[in-house]
Amino acid sequence: MSYLLRKLGIFVFTLWVAATLNFILPRLVPGDPVSVMLAKYQGRLDPSAVDALKIAYGLNDLGSPISQYFTYLGNLLRGDFGRSISLFPTPVIDVVLRALPYTLGLVGITTIISFVLGSGLGLYSGWRRGRAGADAVVPAALFLSSMPYFWFGLLLLYVLAFQLKWFPLSGALDPFPGDAYSAGWWSSLARHAVLPVLTILVTSVGGWLITMRNNVISVASEDYLAFARAKGLSEGRIVNRYVLRNALLPSFTAFGMSLGFVVGGSILTEIVFSYPGLGYYLYQSVTNLDYPLMQALFFFIALAVLLANLLVDLINVILDPRIREGRA
Amino acid sequence: MTAVIPAATVPRRAWKNTSLGRFFRNPRSVAGAGLLLLFVLLALLAPVLTPYNPNSLQFDAFMGFSAQHPLGTTALGQDIFSQFVYGARLTLLVGSAAGLIATFLSVTFGLAAAYFGGRVDEAINTLINVFLVLPGLPLIIVAAAFIRGGGVWPVILVIGLTGWAFGARVLRSQALALRERDFIAAATVAGEGPIRIIFVEMLPNMAGLIAANFFGAALYAVLSEAGLSFIGVGDVSLVTWGTMLYWAQAKGALLQGAWWWVALPGLSIALLGTSFALLNFAVDEISNPKLGGGRLKMPRRTVSAAGPAPVAGDALLAINDLNVGYVTPTGTVRAVRDVTLEVQPGELLGLAGESGCGKSTLAFAATRLLDPPGAVLGGSVRLAEHDLLALSPEELRQVRWKEFSIVFQASMSVLNPVLKIREQVYDAMQAHGVTDKAKLDARARELFDLVGIQTSYLDAYPHQLSGGMKQRVVIAIALALEPKLIVMDEPTTALDVVVQRQILQEINDVRRRLGISIIFITHDLSLLVEMSDRVAIMYAGEVVEQAPAHQLYAHPAHPYTQQLMNSFPPMTGPRTRRSGIPGKPPPLSAEIVGCPFFERCTKRMPGVCDVKPLQTFPVAEHQTAACFLYDPTVSPALKGNAIRESQINAGQSNAGQISAGQISAGQISAGEVSREPARNAKLN
Repeated sequence: MSYLLRKLGIFVFTLWVAATLNFILPRLVPGDPVSVMLAKYQGRLDPSAVDALKIAYGLNDLGSPISQYFTYLGNLLRGDFGRSISLFPTPVIDVVLRALPYTLGLVGITTIISFVLGSGLGLYSGWRRGRAGADAVVPAALFLSSMPYFWFGLLLLYVLAFQLKWFPLSGALDPFPGDAYSAGWWSSLARHAVLPVLTILVTSVGGWLITMRNNVISVASEDYLAFARAKGLSEGRIVNRYVLRNALLPSFTAFGMSLGFVVGGSILTEIVFSYPGLGYYLYQSVTNLDYPLMQALFFFIALAVLLANLLVDLINVILDPRIREGRA
Repeated sequence: MTAVIPAATVPRRAWKNTSLGRFFRNPRSVAGAGLLLLFVLLALLAPVLTPYNPNSLQFDAFMGFSAQHPLGTTALGQDIFSQFVYGARLTLLVGSAAGLIATFLSVTFGLAAAYFGGRVDEAINTLINVFLVLPGLPLIIVAAAFIRGGGVWPVILVIGLTGWAFGARVLRSQALALRERDFIAAATVAGEGPIRIIFVEMLPNMAGLIAANFFGAALYAVLSEAGLSFIGVGDVSLVTWGTMLYWAQAKGALLQGAWWWVALPGLSIALLGTSFALLNFAVDEISNPKLGGGRLKMPRRTVSAAGPAPVAGDALLAINDLNVGYVTPTGTVRAVRDVTLEVQPGELLGLAGESGCGKSTLAFAATRLLDPPGAVLGGSVRLAEHDLLALSPEELRQVRWKEFSIVFQASMSVLNPVLKIREQVYDAMQAHGVTDKAKLDARARELFDLVGIQTSYLDAYPHQLSGGMKQRVVIAIALALEPKLIVMDEPTTALDVVVQRQILQEINDVRRRLGISIIFITHDLSLLVEMSDRVAIMYAGEVVEQAPAHQLYAHPAHPYTQQLMNSFPPMTGPRTRRSGIPGKPPPLSAEIVGCPFFERCTKRMPGVCDVKPLQTFPVAEHQTAACFLYDPTVSPALKGNAIRESQINAGQSNAGQISAGQISAGQISAGEVSREPARNAKLN
């Protein structure tokens, strides 16, 4: 129980750090971000947008930085992230909520598939270590995980979509996909998802493979494994209940911790495929200097990763009896 | 001049065993270092390789391949090849500089947390956790968006400041483990300050891990820079492979068919990343022996053409001329040499010897549990009707536990930590055909009663049990299928004396009741003499003496056994000073000519013991010794000399040691020993 409370504490604390970074970063820039933006838009900004900006930055609030900070936190808790500059006057929260399902669907599901697939291959590679096939996957995995996500996406886009025209070039849906959740809508969604999924899968699977392989090799030299073999257990049982069950624990912990990195890389894939998720809008907000949107997106990406982490911690409690008693 | 000589005479073997030597023999580190060197050369030689300034816009846009422009030009009329070559410079700078910053922070935070502990550790650990779970790239994007256009250093700084947490976590746990080690404790007691302990004592021991960490951080930095540049955050007026991708994408390179403008910088980033990843992986492998190895060629067992020797009499287990070795990069270490040993049904055979004499290796090899690099080099092992070394994996699986079971030396860690005890008792029986739940439960309860643990512990996890209880659980599992033979490898050494007594008593009771044979391995000779029916003494991989326990106690024949007995206090009699055996066993990697104990033997016969091939000679009924004192072909005069000399030496150096009532080497009179060969002669 104390383990979960601790994890919950870290969750709240980290979320607070993310929010505070969001507050501090714009204030670290020399000069005032609003005038920087006004200069960039050269008077094309609606006066009400300027007001919205000032509100977003607390520049209308002439109080001390401390009171600005608390106003900011209060707005955050009420879900008020201000209005987007580039999509004015749409509230930022609406943009985020529209984009969220696409990112959860694409990055979330693909990351889980990638972890399962990579861990499976890593289990094979570690358990059958010394065989040509099992050892050859290591350099291959290292190469794949060293590729920039977006670059591999570009290549896929060029060959499979532009040259061969097998898949659509961009977006998540056809312009007129039919009624939502109809058969045609689903098939349109699936066709658009193939290339981004492939990109994330190919570039992230290697990392999970290496992690799992190392864990399997460590477990293979444990005394309980020699004992299991001495007992004459079948290979299937040894792999499942002794190797996998133990190697999965550190792999799973690593999964939680690498999520932030993987999700960060995956959202670049959205940019390449103009896939309308959080990453795509993050890119849009960066190029349009839409600071309120940028900050809200960062906050929500952080929130999603933190929630996933909390879930990983919960599952760890189920998997490892030692954690349940606060021993690990 | 003289200073050169020691360096030149360092044997090649030593060099091969250093980390650097292993680094250059590891194909992954060589590939990684080669690749990295290539890129570094590319960056350094940029002005030589291309005459053009990478930023000069003097050419036509989208020119194809030509002698003048091997890779054509960009949409803005820059030479792509010179951009690629000069781009290597900044890309490498970002990778190494951000990697260094991140590594410096990782080391500082990781070591500080581990060294200071307590509150400091807690604070740093929380910070690490926060930075670990915060999604890095979006944070960098947001941070870099506010500092855009400031050149390359803001980018390096942002990446370095956000990329240290993973390394810090790894280094912290490594440093925590290191802190527990004796030499750190010794340095602390000696009054060394924290700075000195961290930098002089701890850092050098973590060099491998820190290097691996640097390459990991550099990989992260290169990928992050590429991502940042690609979306136009950072300074796109610089020439890096990342900004090349940005401009290629922005100017529609692919739509214009200039695919190489995109392919080349991306592939180079991937290859540079791979070189960092290979170095990271290889350095990790070299500094963590658990991950390395396993790729050595295993020798095949040489089975004599006649097949395994027939079992003499009705022995349950017959080990014949067994040779076992460990294959290392520098040659084979022969840990078990020509061992022949038998165990009769219902017998408790004790196997004793110093650490490293090959007792456990013998037990593991005979039960086919030896892992690479260990390998059986020759000989045969027969258990009842099974030729153990010839069984197929599936046949072996079926014979295991049903016919023989094993209690390991490290019983504290032989139970799977994530499974309930019940499952681990059941699965041994389930693997051999007992599937009925009621039967399994009844048997498990019966076994726990037998070894004296409450049956409620069946539903506990291993970490909830004490060491003694775990040991009993393992013994219960070993008894589950009532095997004919149980091999016990120092089953009680880790336990306190009282628990040890109880468990040994129970083992003895059970085996007498069920008629189970036991091979009991220990270095505690007095314990063996008390428990065993028969004792075998091992030295340097060979069985040097075998005798019934009482016989061995009363009349140890081999000089090694005699000295071994002398190093344990007797159960009764006056207290006297004990002596160990001076010297140490010969290295097992060497070919041993003659008797392996020659160097340490007080009764050696130069010209005989170090020359003749070692043989085993009968000493008395049921007693044999591998010692030339019992060789009927050696002249009695020579033996008499050796024994007299040993007594004179003993008298000089350990005058007070030999006392009345003590049964030891020194007590056996010259007459008694010299009588033995005579008896041999009669037997022969």
